[in-house]
Parts: sequence; structure tokens; C-alpha cells
Amino acid sequence: MDIPAADELEWLESNSFFPEEEDEEEFIVPEDEDEVQEIHALESRDQSPVTEVQNSRKRPLSVDDGVREGESGSKRRASDDEDWLRYSPPKQVFANEPTETDDPVVPVAEEKIISRFASDIEGAFIPVTGPGGDRVYAKLSCVEKAGGKSLLHRDKPSNVLLSVSIDVLMQRLEQETFQKALQESFGSPNQENQTTTHTVSEQLWVDKYAPNSFTELLSDEQTNREVLLWLKQWDSCVFGSQIRATTDDVLTALHRHSSITQHESFSEKKGFNRNRRVPFVKQSFKHSNVMDKEEVNSKGISDVWNRKSTTNQPPEQKVLLLCGPPGLGKTTLAHVAARHCGYRVVEINASDDRSSSTIESKILDVVQMDSVMTDSKPKCLVIDEIDGALGEGKGAVEVILKMVNAEKKPSVEKGAVGQEAQLEKSSSKKGRKAMSLSRPVICICNDLYAPALRPLRQVANVHVFVQPTISRVVNRLKYICNKEGFRTNSIALSALAEYTECDIRSCLNTLQFLNKKKVNLNVLDIGSQVVGRKDVSRSSFDVWKEVFQKRKSKRERKSLNDGIRHLDSLYTLIANRGDYELTMDGIHENFLQLSYHDPKMQKTARCLDMLGISDSLLHYIFRTQQMSLQVYQPLSAVGMSYLIAQVEKPNIEWPKSLQRCRALTVEKKDLLKSWHNKISPSISRHISIESFVEDVVSPFLHILSPQTLRPVALHLLSEREKDDLAQLVDTMVLYSLTYKNSKPEPAQKLFNKLGASADALVPSLDPPINDFTNFKDYQSEHYELSVATKQVLLHEIEKQKILRESIGKSANPSDKSNNVNGTSSSSDAQVIPVKKTTTASVGNGRENTTALPQTQKLSTVNSKPGSVPGKHLPVTGKNLKAPGNPKRPSGNLTSFFDRVKKGNNASSEHTGDMLNNTATTERDSRPLIFKYNEGYTNAVKRPVKVRELL
Amino acid sequence: MLWVDKYRPRTLDKIIVHDEIAQNLKKLVSEQDCPHLLFYGPPGSGKKTLIMALLKQMFGPGAEKVKLENKPWKIDAGSRTIELELTTLSSTHHIELNPSDAGFQDRYIVQEIIKDMAKIRPLDAKGKKGFKVLLLNQVDKLSREAQHSLRRTMEKYSASCRLILCCNSSSRVTEAIRSRCLNVRVNAPTHEQIVKVLEFIAKKESLQLPPGFAARIASQSNRNLRRAILSFETCRVQQYPFTANQAISPLDWEQYVSEIASDIMKEQSPKRLFLVRGKLYELLVNCIPPEIILKKLLSELLKKLDFELKHEVCHWAAYYEHKMRMGQKAIFHIEAFVAKFMSIYKSFLIATFG
Repeated sequence: MDIPAADELEWLESNSFFPEEEDEEEFIVPEDEDEVQEIHALESRDQSPVTEVQNSRKRPLSVDDGVREGESGSKRRASDDEDWLRYSPPKQVFANEPTETDDPVVPVAEEKIISRFASDIEGAFIPVTGPGGDRVYAKLSCVEKAGGKSLLHRDKPSNVLLSVSIDVLMQRLEQETFQKALQESFGSPNQENQTTTHTVSEQLWVDKYAPNSFTELLSDEQTNREVLLWLKQWDSCVFGSQIRATTDDVLTALHRHSSITQHESFSEKKGFNRNRRVPFVKQSFKHSNVMDKEEVNSKGISDVWNRKSTTNQPPEQKVLLLCGPPGLGKTTLAHVAARHCGYRVVEINASDDRSSSTIESKILDVVQMDSVMTDSKPKCLVIDEIDGALGEGKGAVEVILKMVNAEKKPSVEKGAVGQEAQLEKSSSKKGRKAMSLSRPVICICNDLYAPALRPLRQVANVHVFVQPTISRVVNRLKYICNKEGFRTNSIALSALAEYTECDIRSCLNTLQFLNKKKVNLNVLDIGSQVVGRKDVSRSSFDVWKEVFQKRKSKRERKSLNDGIRHLDSLYTLIANRGDYELTMDGIHENFLQLSYHDPKMQKTARCLDMLGISDSLLHYIFRTQQMSLQVYQPLSAVGMSYLIAQVEKPNIEWPKSLQRCRALTVEKKDLLKSWHNKISPSISRHISIESFVEDVVSPFLHILSPQTLRPVALHLLSEREKDDLAQLVDTMVLYSLTYKNSKPEPAQKLFNKLGASADALVPSLDPPINDFTNFKDYQSEHYELSVATKQVLLHEIEKQKILRESIGKSANPSDKSNNVNGTSSSSDAQVIPVKKTTTASVGNGRENTTALPQTQKLSTVNSKPGSVPGKHLPVTGKNLKAPGNPKRPSGNLTSFFDRVKKGNNASSEHTGDMLNNTATTERDSRPLIFKYNEGYTNAVKRPVKVRELL
Repeated sequence: MLWVDKYRPRTLDKIIVHDEIAQNLKKLVSEQDCPHLLFYGPPGSGKKTLIMALLKQMFGPGAEKVKLENKPWKIDAGSRTIELELTTLSSTHHIELNPSDAGFQDRYIVQEIIKDMAKIRPLDAKGKKGFKVLLLNQVDKLSREAQHSLRRTMEKYSASCRLILCCNSSSRVTEAIRSRCLNVRVNAPTHEQIVKVLEFIAKKESLQLPPGFAARIASQSNRNLRRAILSFETCRVQQYPFTANQAISPLDWEQYVSEIASDIMKEQSPKRLFLVRGKLYELLVNCIPPEIILKKLLSELLKKLDFELKHEVCHWAAYYEHKMRMGQKAIFHIEAFVAKFMSIYKSFLIATFG
């Protein structure tokens, strides 16, 4: 019965060696104080007369609670819980040596037990002040109860905090006594045996001291509260209105509190960061992120709360995603918080089968089914290590997403439907609603930016774990060490915590291991000691942050050594990350934003040199496949870090611009290529992409937008203007450019000189080669054609294209000079002149406006001296005769033929063909094929025989 | 049609700028045969025009009837098959292609496709065995491996096939290939030659050229005939009749580069470098080759620089261009040059003005 008390005693005794720490009271549960006292009192009475003598000699007063109370009350310190123990009657010493303990007899009486001088007493002693003010020192001695039942073993402290039942402990005790008896009889050889039995029965400290209640959690207070808040929001949905334990005001209070602590904790963290040389890995770069998210979250939460305080809807974000480096207590938090809120935790972790189908049924079981047994709690699903196995983890993510999305749709539809309606609906439409989430799901991952988690990140309530402060970790470690009786000091513990980056699990395992080996934790050689360094590959952001951020050295001494170690660790970090190209891109993207001191730009130049070296190296490696050279890659990053690292937190962005640049370049090249393919090869072969961009595009755009072109009706143009227009249209058609109606971009609206309404369609070049001169912050001096002019051009180009197309049809077969399809082609060839004549003859009113400029344009082209080589002239003549068209415009039309032939370089054999074709046409009496194009002619569709026209 | 294309000489006789080369070429092919040819010279000097005229000289007008083909190729390369798509221009007598389009897989084009094409031997009208011409553009952009495989092809199929290679810089063509070809250097036209061409065009278009105007265009053209003719046409479109001191509009990207240069001269700091980076990206996005950007940037910077620094700056520009060709990410190296320049210039300013 007295075991817990003895235990506590022991701990407190040892604790008195560290009087500086008083804040561990929360770990002790001093409920049974009185009981213990009584036991002590009883015990002391039972004990041998020597002790009695001791007691009476030491203190004239009888062992009386009340007196003692009053006595100690006078000198009660802040930690009064412990004080009474100093006066505990038995004056037991639980010495560390087990040999002492198994002696059931009281220590020798001759020994000086109480003295005025501390030096008189051998071994441990405590000061005692009597009621009269005289101070004596009492020797501490060990008293065993008869039967050796209270044998101590410091490795096995058991108190109320422990989950191990008292029976087990008793059993162990017995076992141990047996062992010791054996040991005594056989001597040392049995030591091994003993240790082995120890290991068998021993529990991992990590599990042993896992926090059981919410207050014991070691993780960041704010995160804890956020998680709890989120869980609490499920209450109304999960437990229904009858058990709804958490009222709104509690929640709001919690929420308020969390927002307050949020600020506090952030300021604290900042301060901490500045003061100590602590690797705050996750926290700082995501700092703003976290802030934002949390602000959003909290806003969302409050919104939700205001809106739906009466309905029983789950929180907006149905999934909680906890992420952070290993060993910070994510899983523990999830379990503790869920238990705290009255859920039964169902965990799915990487060791389970996580294929999509099995996980789906599992989640469905957990989330949707209510247990048959009435007493069981609702379940809360914890999916641990969701990022662990990518392929399989994805299945889980998909399932969750599906469920979340399934929930979203109906909720949107319903809007603000009342509680009853919702309940009804859910019960009636079980089939359809089967997929929705109705229980909280907590996902845990290490790497928030794992690709598999990308979709989940958007729907989940994300909490990033930050490292707990070192002092908290150290306190907890110290407590555990004390419990286990392992001697350490705070410095060593804090060094350990720092070394493991506050990974509590790793700390505990290390300590337990050291304890087993009976080795003391040594401050200096933590690195070389058993503590394994975590082989964690960090996210790229962490790597960049490490490169850009200088750790402020806490101790200025041994700065050289520190520096070397830092560079070393940086090298390892980058090498572990592996993706050097990405790392370098990130550095390149971000390093200019740092505010390093560089008056002569020398550092910048050197940094870029190093980036260049890294780039060349990478290129060389990939070309020659000499991967072993990769080891030199991190060095350039380390070098840059040495040059530019700053103490303040860098603002890191993902390197996008290089990718963007590449993607856009490819896109533009493709655009040019496809355009290139549309131009006739005789022209396009002379324009390579490079030369086009370098030399052609700017003047070309100038040429395409002549300022002299007035936006007026075509018949109002002067001869020269018409000539210009014709040339322009010809050029655009040849280079297969046209205008396309499209929505104007905001930038273009400014140039919109005619002031067309904002949403009117504005013709723009197609393909948009004008983009090639659109640089950012650059005002090109290109003259922008007015919308009306562009429309006229568009019109003309369309017309020209149709003409060419039909001519091309006739020209191609005749080029080949085969008479097989000569007849059909000849009839095609006849179509156009006929059509033209009809349009010309019908020509009245506005028809003239379109027909006239074209004919004139054609004539001007033809009549231009020098531009038409002489050998084409006979062709013109023959064509003129061939259709035998007496009307005037036919001359122009044939000149049009002529122009095309010029383009195709058809020579004299073409004319021969044309003659043949006309001959066949005259024979042919098929009805006219008329191609009617809306908007281009008003011609009446009427079957006309060719010979009627002849 | 643009004047560049409209007044492009079609036959060797009509060539104005490189008439002596044209005459030599004419003599060369007078016996219906020719060696492998390697044309090299700066852009806009008339290489392609010469080649086209040469082809016409060799095969007559049939060489001008070309068709565009976009053919997918499947190449069996050991364990895997590589699929390539290649655009070719072909007439009955010649095939024109750009092997560097295939990027790092250009080796397979050279090895397989060219071999395949070269094997087919055309028969000429009189039943005599003729030869085909393979015209390869941008040979300097071929990878080294591809160039090595090319040289075997050149020898093996020389009976049925002549290669005409065209590139900007012969230094990036391996020795082995250069020695197997007749090298034809096509110089950039001199200002006088450009003026001559512009006057010819003006006569054909019956335009009035004010004295000195053509010379001005020529001097602004960077001895690039294509650019000269285009800016001439631009001037014609913008303002006619010409005036002697009419503004000749600059190229947009060059204008932009000079803006960058003045940005650099104004301030030297990491922040400014960041701004410059954004602008450099803009240029790169618009497909302007990084070498050209660096060159232009250097020349713009040199304009504004003290004599003392010119040598050093040129040295570093060369250094970074070399590095750029060794690496992949051009932006790193251009930026490194800018940073280096800033550093030099800043130190110079501090040393000079305190």
C-alpha cells in the first residue's frame, strides 16, 4: 500500500537536488497525501524501537499531524506540497544501492544520527529545525518493512499516472526479490540474467509516459486548442442536441482563447527564435502560411458558428490534416484530443491494408455506422501516415475526398434547411447520402506538400506542427528521468533535445537506451554518442530556408567549429533532398529578395557564378551520365549559403518563373511553327523562327499597319490608297495572316481609338504575331489600326482567300496536266468568271462598294509596270478569250488568274492546258455550279447554262 | 508579298550581293555535279537565297516545286523505338530539313532518316543516274554525336546524294565535316552592297530615294540584308515620299534590350538585378535566343561605358557566353553577366567618384 507513497517520496527527494524547478507540480497527483501521511504515521509506529528512539530524539514532539501541520506552516515554502515530507517521521532514505535496501534490520544505533553539525553525520542527512528554533541535522537512514514487501526498485516507479495495474507491479516486485535473493546466493554471474528479465518486462518509455490527458500534451498549445475546437464543432452533429455538451459560449470562448494564444504564441516563438539557436524547421517559413490559414480558418469557424449555431451541421472542413516532422506528438494529440471529446479512436496506419477498396469500406464502417451497443462512444477516425506510401495513401485520400465532396453538394442545395429536415432527409435518403462524412476524420502526415495530399490540402483544415519549445521538452524529459531514476542534468537534456530537433520520441528512446547501458548522458559527445541523427529528407522549402537563413549562434565561442558543423549539416541536408535542379532553381528564384549587405554586388556575382557552375555541372552530368559527380552539387548551394545567409526569416516562393518561361517559349514556338506551316513553302523556307523573331516581326508589324490607311468606305479611297490596300491584303493572304474577332484585352481597350464599347469584339491578328513584341513594361510604337480598318481588311482577306481557293482548285489539276479530271476542273475554272460577271452585271447600290474596289485593286496590280514579267502576258490574253466574256470586268479576272500563276510559277504549259480546258468547257453544257457566300454578294441563285453566257 | 521575298533573286545570275560567289557556284555546277557544300555566314547575308538559286541552276525550275511534308518516323534504336516527327520540304530533286528540330534526338535523324533518304537514287530523264541534294539547315545546332554520325553518311552515300549544309557559324561544325565539304563563306553584305540592293528595289517599285536615306537604313541594319529591306519597306509604309531624315523605327526587342541596359546603368543592386531578370525572362519567352540577347546587351552597355572598363566587360561577356553554351539555363548565365557587370561598374564608380 505504501508503494506509491514511497515512490513519490523518492522522487521528491531526488527532486530536491534540483530546487530550481517548481513547475512540475502538474505531473504529480497529490490526491492521496493524507492517506500517505497516515500510512507513514502508522508505519512509523509499527517500526522498530530504534526508529522510535530516533524520532523521539530528533523531535521531542509526538508524531502528531496537527502539530506537524502547524509547525511546518511557519516555514512553508511555495511548494508546500513537498514540505511536509521533510518532516515525515520515518526519515527513510531510499538509497540508490540495492544492497542497502534488502537489509531488513535498522541501521546501527551507534552511528550518529542527529547532530548539530552536518559534518558529524556520514552519508545523507536533512536539516531539521525544532519548534524552539534550534537546528539539527538528522541522518537519513533506510528502514525496511518486515517481510521485504516494500522493496524498492527504482526502475519501476509506479504511481497513479501509470497504466500498469498494481497487481502487475506486485508481481514484478516479487519477481525482483526473488532475483535479488538469487543474486545474493550466486553472486555476480547472475547479473546478465537479471537484465534480460528486465528487458522482457520493460515497457518503452515513450509508451509509458505518453500523455493521457489533454493538459499533459507537449505539443504547441495553440495547435492543441485548434484541434480541440475543431473536434468540438462536431459535437452538435455527432452527439445530437440531447448530449450536446459544449454550448456556444464555450466554443466561442475556446475560439477566442485560441486566437489570443495564437498571437501570444507567435510573439513568443519569435522571441524564442531570436534568442536561441534552435532549429525551427517547419515553423518559420510556413509562418505566414499558417497565419493566413488560421485566420481564414478562424474566420470560417466563426462564420459557420454564427450561421449555423442552431443546426447540427458538422464544421465546414470535415477533415483535419495534421502535419509536421516526426516525433512531435501528432498521433498523440489526435488520440488524446479525440478521447477528450468523447470519441473512440479508430486508427488506420501504414501497417494496415490501405488499398482504395479496403480503406473505403473501413472508413465507411467507422464514419457512418453507429455502433449497435448503446454504451459505446462514437468513433473518430485517425488515419496515420497518410503520406507514407504514395500509391496506397492515394487511395485513402481519394476516398476521403469523395466523401467530402459528396457532402458538399447536398449541403449547397439545401442551404439553410432546418435541423429536423436534415435529419429526416438523411434517414430517408440513406442510399444517396451514404457517402457523406458524419464523423470526424483526422489525417496525419509528415510532409504537407506530398503530391498525393495536394487535393486533400484544399478541403482539409490544415495544422502544421511546430516544435515545442526546448524548455518544455527538457522539463518533461527531466521529469521522466527522475521517475526512472536516471541521472542527468538540464544542459545535457537540452543539448539532446536540440540535437534531435525536439523529437520527443527520439529523446526518450535515447535516454532509455542510455539508461539500460548505465551510461550517463554526456553533453559534449551527444553527436558521437548513441543518438542517431534522424535521416529525414526534408521538403524543398526547408532546404531553401536552411540555405537562406543563418542560425544565430547562441554561443559566440567556438564559432569556427560551429560554422563548420553548420556547413556540414547543410551539405547533408541538400544531399538528402537530392533534387538539385529544383534546389538551385529555388535559390535562384529567391536569393535576390534577401537583404544581404552587398555594396559592390560582388556576392551577387559570385552567387550567380556558383549557380552557373551548378547548371553546367548538371548539364554535363546528364550528358555524360556520370552521376558520381552529383556529390559536388550541394557544394555550390553551401557556398551560396555562406555568402548570403541572413538571420531574418526569408520569404520563399516556389520557383515558377523558369518553368513558366520554358512553357511559354514552347508555346510561342509552336504557334510560330504552325503558322510557318501554313505559309507557302517558297516563302516560309526563308524565315526561320530565330530570324523571324529577331529581324522580321517588328518591321512586319509596321508594314501590316500602315498609317495611311483611312477607315473609310472603299470607293472613297484614292488610287494610291487602293493600291496600298491591295498590297496589304495580298501580303496578309500570302503570309496567311488574318484578323480574328476576339474579346479585347484590358490593355487593348486603351488603344481603342474609335471608342467602341468595352465588350465589343475587336479584330486582332491571327496568329497573334504581335505578341512577340509585347514585352512587359514596354510600349511598342506600333501603329494600331482602327477597328473599322481591321474589319475592312478582314473582309478583304476573306474574299481574297475564297478567290484563291477556287483558283487553286483549278490551277492544281491543270498544273499536273492530266486530262482525267480535266473536265471537272475546267468547269470549276469557269465558275469564277461567271460569278464575277453576274456580280458585276447585277452590280447596283452597295454591291458596287464591295465589287468595285476589288476589281480596281486587281487592275492596279496588273497595271503596275515592271512587276509583271513579260512572259505572263500571253496567258492573260488567252484567258481573256477563253471564257469569251464580252463584258468589261473579265479582263480584271483574267489578270487575277495571271497573278496566281505568277505565284505558282506556272509556265507556258499551263496556257496549253487552259486552252484544252476551255475547249472541253464549250462542249460541256452542265448547269452552273454556284458558290454562294453570305455577305459577299447579292447575286440571285439561278441555274444558268454556260452557253447562255457565251 | 513582302519585298524581302518579292525581290529575292531566283537565279544565280540575278544575285546582286554575292555575285562573285554566285558566279563561282555557277561554274561549279556547270557539269551537273558538285561536291558537298557548307554555307556559313551571319543571318541575313543571303545563304538560303544562294542555295535556292544554286538548286535552280542544278535542276531547273523543277527544284522550285516543293511540297511540305510532316512525316512521323519510327526509329528502332536497340531496345526502344523512338518516334519522331519531322517536317521536310521536298521537290523531286532535293529534300530540305532541319535536323536540329528534334533536339537531343537529332542523332537519330542523321543516322536513320538521312540515310534512308540518301539511299533512294533518282533517275534523271535521260536514264542517267543523277543525284539528290539533301539540304540541312542549322547544322551548327546539331549535337556532336549527330555530327559524327553525319560524316559517315556523307562518305557512304556520296554517289547518290550531295549534302548542302547551312549554318551561321562554322566553328560549331566539327573539323571532320568541314573537311568533307566545300566551304562557302557568305559574308554579311557591306553597307554599299545593301545600298545597292535598296536602290534596285526602289527602282523596281518606282520610288524616289532621297540621297543618303538608303545609306542610313543600311547603317542601321547591322549589315543584315533582310533587316535592311524590311525596314526599307516599313519606311515606305509609314511615310512616302521619303524624306532624308525620316525616322527608321528600331526593332522592338533591341529597344527593349537597350532599356534593360539603361536600367543596369542607373542602379546596381540585387533589387535592380531582380527587375532585370524579369525583363530578361520576357525576352526569352519571346523566343529570342539567349546568345543574341547577351550580345546585344553587351553592345548596348559598351555604348555607355568608360573606355577603361570595355575590355574587362567584353572579357566577361565572352566568359559567360561560353558558360551559357555549356549549361542549360541561359537565364542563370545572362544574369550572372549582368551581376558581374554591375559589380565591375559599381567598383569603378566607387573608385572614381568615391
